[in-house]
Amino acid sequence: MLYINCPHCGMRSQNEFSYGGDASVKRPELNKEVSDQEWDNFVYNRKSLRGKHLELWQHISGCRQWIKVERDTATHEIFRTFKADEEVA
Amino acid sequence: MQKYSIFNLVKNAFSNHENWDLAWKDPTPKEEYDVVIIGGGGHGLATAYYLAKEHNISKVAIIEKGWIGGGNVGRNTTIIRSNYMHDENGLFSEFGMDLWRKMSQDLNYNVMFSPRGIINLAHSDAQMNAYARRGNSMRLNGIDAVLLNREQVKEIIPMADFSENVRFPIFGGLMQPSAGTARHDAVAWGYARQADSMGVDIIQNCEVIGFDVSAGKIKGIRTSRGNIKAKKVGLCVAGSTNILAEKLNMTLPIETHLLQACVSEPIKPVLDNVVTFGAGHFYVSQSDKGEMVMGGDLDGYNSYAQRGNLPTLQHVLTEGIAMMPFLSKLKMLRTWGGIMDMSMDGSPIIDKTHIEGLYLNCGWCYGGFKATPASGWTFAHTIAQDRVHELNAGYNLNRFSTGHLIDEKGLGTKTWIS
Amino acid sequence: MTQAFRIENGGLINRDKKLSFKFNGKTYLGYEGDSLASALLANGVHLVGRSFKYHRPRGFFGAGVDEPYAVVQLYRNGETEPNIKATEQELFEGLEAKSVNCWPSVNFDIGAINNFLKIFLPAGFYYKTFMWPKSFWYRIYEPFIRKAAGLGVASTKHDKERYEHKYEYCDLLIAGSGPSGLAGAYAAAKNGAKVILAEDKSRFGGSLLTSDVNIGNQSGQDWAEGIIAELKTMPNVVVKNRSQIFGYYDHNMLVMSEKVSDHLPATKKYHPNKRLWYIRAKEVLISSGSIERPIVFGNNDTPGVMLSSAAKEYLKVYGVLVGIKPLVFTNNDSGYETAIEFKKHGVDTVVLDSRKNPESEIIDEAKSLGINIKNSYVVVAAQGYKKVKSADIASISEDKKKLGKIENIECDCICVSGFWTPTIHLASQSGNKTKFKEEIDAFVPGQSKQNEITLGSANGVFSLEETLKTSFKTGSELSKKITKKDNEIAIPNVVEKKSSQHDKFWCVPLPKGKNYKRFLDFQNDVAVSDVEIALREGYRSIEHVKRYTTLGMATDQGKTSNLNGLQLVSEIENKVVPAVGHTTFRPPYTPVSIGAIVGREVGKQSKPTRKSPMHSWHEKNNAVFVDAGVWLRPRYYRRGNENLFEASKREAKNVRTNVGVCDVTTLGKIDVKGPDAAELLNRVYTNAWLKLPVGKARYGVMLREDGIVMDDGTTTRISENHYHMTTTTAQAANVLSHLEYYLQLVWPELNVNVVSTTEQWAGAAIAGPKSRDLLQKLFPKLDVSNEGLPFMGYMEGDLSGVKARIFRISFSGELAYEVNVESDYGNFMWEKIMEVGEEFNIQPYGTEALSTLRIEMGHVAGSELDGRTIPFDNALEGLVSKKKDFIGKRSLQRSAFIAEDRQRIVGVVPLDKQTSIPEGSHLVKDDKAPLPNPKLGHISASCWSVEYDNPFSLAILKDGKNMIGQKLFAMSPLKNKVIPVEIVSSHYVDPKGERVRS
Repeated sequence: MLYINCPHCGMRSQNEFSYGGDASVKRPELNKEVSDQEWDNFVYNRKSLRGKHLELWQHISGCRQWIKVERDTATHEIFRTFKADEEVA
Repeated sequence: MQKYSIFNLVKNAFSNHENWDLAWKDPTPKEEYDVVIIGGGGHGLATAYYLAKEHNISKVAIIEKGWIGGGNVGRNTTIIRSNYMHDENGLFSEFGMDLWRKMSQDLNYNVMFSPRGIINLAHSDAQMNAYARRGNSMRLNGIDAVLLNREQVKEIIPMADFSENVRFPIFGGLMQPSAGTARHDAVAWGYARQADSMGVDIIQNCEVIGFDVSAGKIKGIRTSRGNIKAKKVGLCVAGSTNILAEKLNMTLPIETHLLQACVSEPIKPVLDNVVTFGAGHFYVSQSDKGEMVMGGDLDGYNSYAQRGNLPTLQHVLTEGIAMMPFLSKLKMLRTWGGIMDMSMDGSPIIDKTHIEGLYLNCGWCYGGFKATPASGWTFAHTIAQDRVHELNAGYNLNRFSTGHLIDEKGLGTKTWIS
Repeated sequence: MTQAFRIENGGLINRDKKLSFKFNGKTYLGYEGDSLASALLANGVHLVGRSFKYHRPRGFFGAGVDEPYAVVQLYRNGETEPNIKATEQELFEGLEAKSVNCWPSVNFDIGAINNFLKIFLPAGFYYKTFMWPKSFWYRIYEPFIRKAAGLGVASTKHDKERYEHKYEYCDLLIAGSGPSGLAGAYAAAKNGAKVILAEDKSRFGGSLLTSDVNIGNQSGQDWAEGIIAELKTMPNVVVKNRSQIFGYYDHNMLVMSEKVSDHLPATKKYHPNKRLWYIRAKEVLISSGSIERPIVFGNNDTPGVMLSSAAKEYLKVYGVLVGIKPLVFTNNDSGYETAIEFKKHGVDTVVLDSRKNPESEIIDEAKSLGINIKNSYVVVAAQGYKKVKSADIASISEDKKKLGKIENIECDCICVSGFWTPTIHLASQSGNKTKFKEEIDAFVPGQSKQNEITLGSANGVFSLEETLKTSFKTGSELSKKITKKDNEIAIPNVVEKKSSQHDKFWCVPLPKGKNYKRFLDFQNDVAVSDVEIALREGYRSIEHVKRYTTLGMATDQGKTSNLNGLQLVSEIENKVVPAVGHTTFRPPYTPVSIGAIVGREVGKQSKPTRKSPMHSWHEKNNAVFVDAGVWLRPRYYRRGNENLFEASKREAKNVRTNVGVCDVTTLGKIDVKGPDAAELLNRVYTNAWLKLPVGKARYGVMLREDGIVMDDGTTTRISENHYHMTTTTAQAANVLSHLEYYLQLVWPELNVNVVSTTEQWAGAAIAGPKSRDLLQKLFPKLDVSNEGLPFMGYMEGDLSGVKARIFRISFSGELAYEVNVESDYGNFMWEKIMEVGEEFNIQPYGTEALSTLRIEMGHVAGSELDGRTIPFDNALEGLVSKKKDFIGKRSLQRSAFIAEDRQRIVGVVPLDKQTSIPEGSHLVKDDKAPLPNPKLGHISASCWSVEYDNPFSLAILKDGKNMIGQKLFAMSPLKNKVIPVEIVSSHYVDPKGERVRS
């Protein structure tokens, strides 16, 4: 079971969290014209590669905050975690 | 090619089984092929077989990174069914059922197709109604389906929980009597043996590292064993689709996820059917060896690791005991993980791509094994004719843009939720 | 019966306590501290089972977890359990066990005919035959094969035992209590680290229980006892026997299964049968030891052939002689230790050593004891069917290819040692890439992957002195990192006998003209010839070999067979072993009880049950409940002999004519607060929200980004910056996460907070033409007139001293209100409503009547909002703003979504006005069309219209907009029904919505 460092609560087991998918997906701004391709990229298309993956988790049975987790999809190793509004360098 | 039969088995017994032919050879890659299929799993091997058999194209190579049959065809729960609601899925799968029924004879390899019937249990009237919608759709598509009431279910699987101490009582179920199981490894090996005998080169331990594309046209592939020219290339690498897509600068409506399954220790026959739990996600059947073969939810995060974690299995087995309490006394013997192409509407993609001569077969989610023959057949057609067959017309890549989605579960793009 | 093979003294059993047990119907005696295996052997019972494929007689091969044969059916306390290893089952008074996989008995097994047919049954034979005629596989061959396969018999009764889970955190987790585990634990414990030491057997000490060594001037066993005793007194140490760490998962999570009651005749009251420990360890020391591996020879599966270490363990731990004429066959010094142990008890052995001139302290000792040693000698084949009677032996050439003249010597057991295989499973499970160590012909862990370190023989180190040294040091260092303490430990003196290099020899060649089966995998009957066939036919990857032959796939998971299989493949393929590679080790290390994995979440507790505060009232008033997710809701309230149909019709009718009350507590409720709350709602819902006044409610639909309807419900503006959102019961949790997602990640600039209030409020819907009169009586001080509280109005009131929220909203399509009070007052509110409502003929109504009411009105619910429909499909496009942007709007432009003939909700009435249309039926143009018959739509919901007294259904129909008035067929082949129907508007009752506004 993954052990995730919630930036708000500390180390917590995975069963307190729910997964939220690729964190690099950016929603197009409201009221902005977007092409079909841009919209499909947002709604459907995912890189989902092997290796480092920045992804969203919500600490649903804890502080309910959405966080970003940098994790290796091949080994499940977690490198870093970030608050929702933290920039990922 | 040597025929497999009881007579030949007896004959060979007297020469100590020393005169059996190779099931498939181990050729070195040629410089060029008419078609290169990437991925020596069930779908890739079936595609090569049907290319040779149905379309007379035998200058074909299968390029496999590891050993053939080592992907999801070798790590699934062997269930074969066509109990789908949507026409695209139902008609495609039912076409596959026909191929399954004659596969052992067709391939002269006993794949042990066993139509033992699948029962989807329902635990409320609302669920019975949802199953009726699916079952009626199946019947109108010419697929067998029976709606069972509680008593009928009890007669078939008395070991399910019909007691008072049950959280979600069984109301009934939807049964597809012609569904069943098959010996998964045999499917890969049977297709490999026949494809090989028709001249297909099966090249194992050969990793694709790149593609040669020029002027929007595929020219060949680059591999760990050298460059191979090809007029057409088919991708059949569910589980690794995103990795190869990246090499082609394609981003697909697919995420890669981890699915675990497990078997119990072998016991004497107790369950004849495939049964699925309706108040969660759990399925079970008993293998010919006696093991209870069980599976359920994804681990629930993007992964390429063929190793999962115990809480997922705990969750799956909790539903197992909720459905069949006797499982509690058995022991979990073996677990394994497979890497799934989870598409954004839960249905696969078999299509041409924007690159001429490059074809895509992916997005099989949980359902790749049963689709093996139909997938190979339609993909071979799509590659050979350079156009989709009506059976896989719905499985186009464009449907995500047009909205012609094929979403059996209605769960949308959160592929990790089941 | 006497225990003829029990030596007079010695062993760790309790001779003061005799236990009686039954095997295959016969009663025997053993002692407390025996395993079932040792007790049977003490009574001279060697034949315990039959093999999987050929049904050959099988005995005991090992003494513990590695046992491939001795799998029995156990009877304990009125229950039965299949596939118990006799070597792992501790004896208790009254134990009963039976052999498995044999019929009619283990002594005379019909299935053994397979043994004579074996030349026709090589690896993979079933792939080559049973194909003709086509239908015979499923009907004839497969049932036969299934019946022959499988081991024990599963009871289909409910399991009476209880299983518990425990979660633990520790600094250092140690797997295995042999010398390295004890040393590591002791050193770490002395540094104050929180240590968990796990031992799978009942006795601590591992190899120290059977080896002839001296530590700190004590026997190894005494030293181990001392350490364990001290560890047990330390508050920072947990010491657990009968506890198998079977899985090493991500992020240093290990799982252990503790047998709490299996060694007892019955589980004690309030005790579990097993306890599963999820342990998150900072550091892990794997001291899981090693397993002796066999040398392969002819008929090496005959009962009486066993590992030499097992023979020694039976003698030293249990005081049991596995034979009185033993033959030891070895390629290393371990076999001599067994021979010496026999000799100490007056039993003479013959030792066959494949090596030419081995020299070591151990061998010297054997020689000095006068043990008969034959160098460059091997066992060619065991003779005897149900028990070893003799052995064919021969000398062997130095290149191990040629056998000398075959001699036959009498013996009653053959103790075989082919050296030791480190138990690397846990390290491999952790992700460690193992490496092949030439000196020991086996794999050992490579670079640590997680925080794990493997020591002792599990790491391929067989010197006790070195093991203790590194283990004390490692224990110190690992704990020092965590506790910052460094208490020095004096490493005790070790006296052990030095051993010499083992022989790289693992398989005896077949003598000319002989065709003995030489088994690699004993349980699955995989012989050398099977692997040869697989390779010959091109199944060359080790994974292909494994799958084609089933090598290593039995319940022992190949603990004694995998490495020999690899050796064979490497030899035939002319590759080094590491190039052949091995199959991946996956949890569990040994089979784990499914009951233990699941724990307490069984039966009614398999999922939580949520109940509204009014639940007990419903129960008292004959409510029949229905599961709505994990909630229980009244489906109808039974009166007399009513059935569902009659009751729901009565309840619905009463709403249309008088007034009814429905428990709506389960609806999701979310408080939305903050200055930007309206803006959030405006982005989340498809319709406009910026101008909703305080004290007003509005119905809204929210989409997923892919344009599909996610949920619907009403939201009320309670005050300037405070909104009360309701969701469907099913989507409550998802909607909250959805809002949090957008607030935290997408639009953090919005100043809004959301929180679930579902459990804070109890809700009652009051519906029907008399609902206003009732409401007025409930709240006499309020102006609840159509002007005072108009449709979609909101006010707060005082219900006999309880603060209440009153919403004028309607799902039933009648004049209706919803009253909310704090949950604790829910029952009070409900009873008040029933009491005051009596004069208006109030009746409670359940979900079934609610369905009828909403279906008649064409209001959509879960069966229409099924994750596949867009607003248009549900006739909700009027709520889709053209002006503003919102979640999912862009997706609505997709061609399929704007197609002219897009599906849409319609009403369906049977032409005969009599026949109810089953839900899930499909609409077709031609009921006689050939299959596949094109489907135009499906019936999503059906009811008996109480308004018109005829059946009415809703359907999602292709081109539904233009189909009103058309005649179609509703078909339910499952129910054999074809019903001619007419398509009508989905708003069947009160299409203008006048009632809700009246």
